Amino acid sequence: MTDASHQRPAADPAAGPSVGGAPEANGPAIRVEKLVRRYGAETAVDGITFEVGRGEFFALLGPNGAGKSTTLHMLTTLLAPTSGRAEVMGHDVVKAAARVRTTLGMVFQNPALDDRLTARENLEIHAALYGLPRREMRGAIERGLAWASLAEVADRRVRSFSGGMKRRLELARALMHGPQVLFLDEPTIGLDPQGRRNLWEHVTRLREEGMTVLMTTHNLPEAEACDRVGIIDHGKVIAIGAPSDLIAAHADQGATNLEDVFLELTGRQLRDEFATVRDRMVSFAQQGGEHTR
Amino acid sequence: MSVDRSGPNVAAGAGADLPAPPGLRASGPRSWAGIAPGVVWVMWKRELKRYGRERSQFFGGVSRTVLWLLILGFGLGAALREIEGYSYAQYVLPGVIVLNVLFASLQCAISIVWDREVGLLREVMVSPAPILSVTLGKLLGGATISVVQGSIPLLVAPFIGVALTVSSVLMAWGVIFAMGIFMTAFGVILASRLKTFEGFGAISNGVIQPLYFLSGSIFPLRGVIGGVGFLQIPEHIRQELRQLGIYTIGGGWFVELPIWIQILVYANPVSYQLDLLRYILLRFQQLPLGIDLAVTFALPPIAAVLAAVAMRRMMKQA
Repeated sequence: MTDASHQRPAADPAAGPSVGGAPEANGPAIRVEKLVRRYGAETAVDGITFEVGRGEFFALLGPNGAGKSTTLHMLTTLLAPTSGRAEVMGHDVVKAAARVRTTLGMVFQNPALDDRLTARENLEIHAALYGLPRREMRGAIERGLAWASLAEVADRRVRSFSGGMKRRLELARALMHGPQVLFLDEPTIGLDPQGRRNLWEHVTRLREEGMTVLMTTHNLPEAEACDRVGIIDHGKVIAIGAPSDLIAAHADQGATNLEDVFLELTGRQLRDEFATVRDRMVSFAQQGGEHTR
Repeated sequence: MSVDRSGPNVAAGAGADLPAPPGLRASGPRSWAGIAPGVVWVMWKRELKRYGRERSQFFGGVSRTVLWLLILGFGLGAALREIEGYSYAQYVLPGVIVLNVLFASLQCAISIVWDREVGLLREVMVSPAPILSVTLGKLLGGATISVVQGSIPLLVAPFIGVALTVSSVLMAWGVIFAMGIFMTAFGVILASRLKTFEGFGAISNGVIQPLYFLSGSIFPLRGVIGGVGFLQIPEHIRQELRQLGIYTIGGGWFVELPIWIQILVYANPVSYQLDLLRYILLRFQQLPLGIDLAVTFALPPIAAVLAAVAMRRMMKQA
């Protein structure tokens, strides 16, 4: 299973419209080859290889600590690989990091917004960081606000926004500079069913417009709606393919949905993790955070 | 539960155009040698907006002025009649400005710890904005806030008998700004090494207060402190002291700090920044003017580069 599953080719490149502008006009949107990341003696990502086709909607699944976030950080140039290589739209994430950064849009797991600023001000910062031309800036900001259905609250501080509003704002922001690949890290976590639904509708529309999307998730029903999923555990890709194919391949073990496949492959053992620095900061922020000074 | 891939209600609420103008391909901000004016400007503006919307910081500056300048200044001033001819409130005025600058710049700098984990900084980290520009925006922001916060005690100066002129205020702002750059850069380097951060208390007690107390801000390095009112120093002793380079105005005791405190004071860059500020405001100084100027204006550019290096290093470990 393990080896054969690696070999499955990326989804039909013709499925999504070619977005162009990259060295290889028809290469995969994301190509990962034997990517390794070590932290001291610990290996977080252990030689993973996979491809995501253009216009494909790909989900990376895995238990806590499996290496999903580390992989995502390497793909978004935040973290340098120990060895191996990765490309986004044909640009190497190490050698052409600057090009990769303008090519991708990123939505983080916890909001990466300045909550003392308004929605519009947050988008203005994004426009400056990505060097949007002055004459296009205002229009792009207004379109982003309208797209996120936040035009009426554009001048309110983000602090007063719900989790869903923040996520929509971040998604609109990630699209402002015309990225070709969108990375979503646990995009629906912490949202109520309405917020989840709304976000999903936005993402679905992006897919229809041909955007390549890579997301990490714990939500298996959501992953089932993706074109393909990759299941990672202990830093290795242990299965990759269309959800229906994975379910069919495990039908003899009694798998009827992706969750069965996931538990079959990764085991039922609990993956306890100690709180990360970020977890501690999030709980600190929730208690009042910087305002406790 | 299963999720619709393209249900009938998919378009609802998502009717607007994509945020990116069609055909737009952002190429990253225009920059020269790592300096992108648009990025510096927007990051500077962000710091000022954050400061302007958080009143507690302003009131912190007011409360320090009241506590140190008015209560301590006049309280301790009642016992210590003078220091080298200046009232105690006058003597601590530059120190209180320095204290406000320390708080303003370090609060601005340390905020990158939570900004990195739960704030805007991760967005900045995946953007093509040059890190030097992001850092410069931060440092200029911290320095500008320092000037505003440092001006609070300055407003009280005329009421404690320190005459301000346009040139002395401008020069004081120059020193405060340079010090703000330096201290914000120092704070950024410190913050880049902090893994987690759950309260400003440790910075306040562990960094700000030692720098403040060991800078000659609240006690003189050496000299005569005017003591009990009736004890007047006879003229011939004053003459002798003057020949030793110690000027006495009024009566008092000659003080010299223990050697270990002296070493710490001389090693503290804040001592020189403070001394220059005191020279500008009071025409009184305790350290060589040349070293004051060198420390105040040569260190900030070096610290700024080191802060950018520290930011880059921190981002690589995200």
